[in-house]
Amino acid sequence: MSTKTSPYARLTESLGLDTDNEWPSVVRERLAAYGLLGVYVFVVWFPIYYILITSFKPTAEVLNLPITFYPHEATIQNYVDIFNNRPFELYTFNSLVVASTTTVIVVTLGTLSGYTFSRYDFMGNKSLLLSIVAARMIPPIALIVPFFSIMSNPPIIGGLTGSLYDTKIALILTYTFFNLPFAVWIMKNYFDGVPESLDEQAKVDGCSTWEGFVKVILPVAKPGIAATAILAFIFSWNEFVFALVLTSSEQAQTLPIAVSLFVADDFVDWAHLAAGGMIAALPGILFGLFFQRYIVSGLTQGAVKE
Amino acid sequence: MTESQYSLRRRLDKLFVPLTVGPTVLWIAGIIVYPTAKLLWSSLFFTHPITGQKQFVGLRNFRRLLFGDGGALLNPSFVSFTKNTLIYVGFSVTISFLLGLGIAILLNKDLKGRGWLRTAVIVPWILPYVMSGLMWRWMFQAQYGAINGVLMQTGIIDSKIAFLSDGTLAMMALIIADVWVFTPFIIIILLAGLQNVPEQLYDAAEVDGASRWSRFRNVTYPFLKPSILVALTIRIIFDIRALDLVWVMTQGGPGTQTEVWASWLYRTAMVFNKPGEGAALGVVMLAVTFGIVAVLYKLFGETPYES
Repeated sequence: MSTKTSPYARLTESLGLDTDNEWPSVVRERLAAYGLLGVYVFVVWFPIYYILITSFKPTAEVLNLPITFYPHEATIQNYVDIFNNRPFELYTFNSLVVASTTTVIVVTLGTLSGYTFSRYDFMGNKSLLLSIVAARMIPPIALIVPFFSIMSNPPIIGGLTGSLYDTKIALILTYTFFNLPFAVWIMKNYFDGVPESLDEQAKVDGCSTWEGFVKVILPVAKPGIAATAILAFIFSWNEFVFALVLTSSEQAQTLPIAVSLFVADDFVDWAHLAAGGMIAALPGILFGLFFQRYIVSGLTQGAVKE
Repeated sequence: MTESQYSLRRRLDKLFVPLTVGPTVLWIAGIIVYPTAKLLWSSLFFTHPITGQKQFVGLRNFRRLLFGDGGALLNPSFVSFTKNTLIYVGFSVTISFLLGLGIAILLNKDLKGRGWLRTAVIVPWILPYVMSGLMWRWMFQAQYGAINGVLMQTGIIDSKIAFLSDGTLAMMALIIADVWVFTPFIIIILLAGLQNVPEQLYDAAEVDGASRWSRFRNVTYPFLKPSILVALTIRIIFDIRALDLVWVMTQGGPGTQTEVWASWLYRTAMVFNKPGEGAALGVVMLAVTFGIVAVLYKLFGETPYES
């Protein structure tokens, strides 16, 4: 900004006619914005770049000084190793099963109830919705003790299944619990924006409530459903604490746990950790690059994250 | 359509509300009421670490947690871990909020390539926290870390710094990682809020010769207030309870110098196998969380979920 104080100078400046300077203030401001954003993006991406190049360095180069900022001898050996020496295909499979199953349950229940919360004025709907939102305020970490004991000794289905500890089912149940409230919230807000005349039109055309919902409302709600699904998937894929508490073997452990296992007491296997970390980070990076719009809309409607 | 099909349809339509809302309500209620009740109940018991025998001890877990065993007025661990939590949450929320606000304002300008910039900015937040934590641990690594590498190879420092072996530096490293992870969240929420500000108001303020600060204070801020509340509430609550970054970067160390409530709870309940004391700390965290939400609502005068 200019420091000129005379009324004339201020007037010319506010009109964008900066006479003392070859560049008008709008251009200067825009350049400054690009500059600052550029620095921010560089700083934000540097660590990701550093772990990416580490994943392609042979161990010898990782433990060599002075450190290098690009791999001098790029190799994919680290990626081969983690699938050969560790059951990374199982961890990836577990992550996929847990995240997709959770997403399906969360999206189905969230869409159904979100629609009804948006359209129907039934007994206790306000307080029900408020309790669902309040459920998001409960700090999950506070619940590790009860969840651990419930999953080790399930009260209802325990007679049938025995302990759910160290199963993917335990993770799916837990993640559904943590993701459902925000899904209801996003979908309710989304349906609030869908005109009710659509529902009425469906009724006039002879649809039952269910048919109207499936044939008319659902297709319109696709962007909201996509946002909910992407967020539910990412949250479940990334979750660490409950996976740490509720699993102990590769039959249920997910990628975040697998990555943390590269840290031994005094020694960290950085090259392999970086490769595992990149695999765990892949959905986040891909979703971020291609579905950023849905993530943003889902976030601003749900404004909640686990 | 036959008569029976028609009546089935009518009956299904009548059941629309309970059938759509029922499963969600049952799921959340069953799985909230029961674990929360169990949390309160477990906080009243002592479990023998070896035999696993449970013994009802009333509020003794809370007394131990807050006042300790010794003669001190307050449990020294409680005091010091609360202090760590306050430093960690206070600095990371403040820094990421100010940084996020600045970046959101920049991104709200009519710039070419804004979509790409927004994508580039959002990514850190959607990576697994564990991977981000380990990534920062690698950045701060004493021998081969990039930060020491850059500082050494540009000649800023002469000898390497063991960031994670010093209490203050380790806390600083945690805060940097936390800011890195969560600033995108602030940016998104505030950017959405900024888009609610009517453009004409800016023009009017500019014509009136309002300064940049006064424009922010009188035009932007009132429209942004609901988003600020959402961003701060969720950010603070999340930081108090988040374990991932702390656990993989420092495990509360060196010593207990970065031990925060979340890592203390995990250590007590899962590592030291004292579920009763862990549950008591869980109850305290629950109360504090609801307290913070109440205070923030009061300060900003509206609920974040009605904006």
